[in-house]
Amino acid sequence: MKVRMDNVSYRRGEWQLTADAVFKTGVHIVTGRIGSGKSTLSLILADIIRPDNGSINLKGISSKTLSLQFPEYHVTGYTINDEISSWKLKPTEVLAKAGLSGRGNEKTLQLSGGEMKRLHLTCQLSKDWDLLILDEPFSSLDCIQKQKLCRELESRNNCILIILTHEQNILPKVDYIWEMDGGHLRYIGEVAYALEKWDGAPGHIRHALSKGVLPDNIREKDAMEALCRMQD
Amino acid sequence: MIEIKNLHHNLLQVERLSIERGHTAVIGPNGSGKTTLLQLCAGIELPNSGTILIGGEPLREQNVGWVSEFPDRNQVFDRVMDEISSPLRFTHTKCDMTDLLVNEIAGRLGIEELLQKSGRQISGGEKALVALATALVSKPALLVLDEVDSHLDRQTTEKIQFILQNCSAPYVIQCTQNMETAAVADHVIFLKNGHIQHFGSPEFVFDSLRDTCFVPFSRRIKL
Repeated sequence: MKVRMDNVSYRRGEWQLTADAVFKTGVHIVTGRIGSGKSTLSLILADIIRPDNGSINLKGISSKTLSLQFPEYHVTGYTINDEISSWKLKPTEVLAKAGLSGRGNEKTLQLSGGEMKRLHLTCQLSKDWDLLILDEPFSSLDCIQKQKLCRELESRNNCILIILTHEQNILPKVDYIWEMDGGHLRYIGEVAYALEKWDGAPGHIRHALSKGVLPDNIREKDAMEALCRMQD
Repeated sequence: MIEIKNLHHNLLQVERLSIERGHTAVIGPNGSGKTTLLQLCAGIELPNSGTILIGGEPLREQNVGWVSEFPDRNQVFDRVMDEISSPLRFTHTKCDMTDLLVNEIAGRLGIEELLQKSGRQISGGEKALVALATALVSKPALLVLDEVDSHLDRQTTEKIQFILQNCSAPYVIQCTQNMETAAVADHVIFLKNGHIQHFGSPEFVFDSLRDTCFVPFSRRIKL
């Protein structure tokens, strides 16, 4: 499976997004400043907006989905049970997984920001996708839920998972690092060699690198283990 | 002092809490009542029962600044200058004083070049800074920030935290999922299921939360 972007450009007023990239099977993380174009890139990859120039080719991909940053844009059900049923899923199972057991009759839009995000991601991740694009999946989640989401994402095999995020603390194990810089998509490289070249590296990775050690991956535990190895 | 007594409001139950001046971080799992506590302190909602006093004054008697998780959803005016001026104009502050205060706060936050722009032309990080300037311009006794950092990058978050550390509001209450932000506050409240489980200095609260994911990396590497 492969997503190929050839000389893609998309203009909005003065601002322009450009991308020339190949996303292979595995977990990709895309970081970048706010307003750098991460969400626009996710919309182009999901074919919700079309680029002005260039082409996007999906090879061997039969199912794809995008999780938007704000979960309320996904809501179609009045109650939580209605919302889960709209995904053709069984409410009882999803409620338990999302930590919302017994609350199926509550109004979906009255959930807290984190609870709504949790509900949406649980529904979306209950299915298998060849191409899974997650725009800021960690925003609004507490650390317990972020860790749970990381475990879920790490368990997905044989798909192209693209995570666009500015999360700085709790992250899953990833294979490839990308950065959006002023609208331009840049490939940083494969983990762990790319870590030293990664401008958007989270604090724990920058801390480990400043101590002269290279973590195996981007999680806090990778940084901790690298720092412990240094002390041995 | 912010004093809360016998507060019962939906899920939230606080028998007694006294918060000294300074920067207070409110942390806890999703749905634990953080936003409800902030909305009550800001006077956006009034409690079903119990009292909250801000510097000895009852709710809605003090000037309060509020910055939402979604700044553009609270934006009233299109031009940034008008948005930041709005709390002063609504209270009939003289035009020359309004201009002076707006330019002063824009200078302190480094957003002078945004003043003539439309709120629709600026980035998400800039929107957060404009919302912060709007909340601070009328020199509130209490500044409340509801997960403002949830959708911001590291650089913008650091800039906002720097502004908060140097802001004139006697009381700042900020709810956050970023424990590194909470670790540099003066006081931390840890809420769970509507109850305050821990309250005190960051050292005390994070010691009480040892072995949980709520302990920030900067503290864990010291243990």
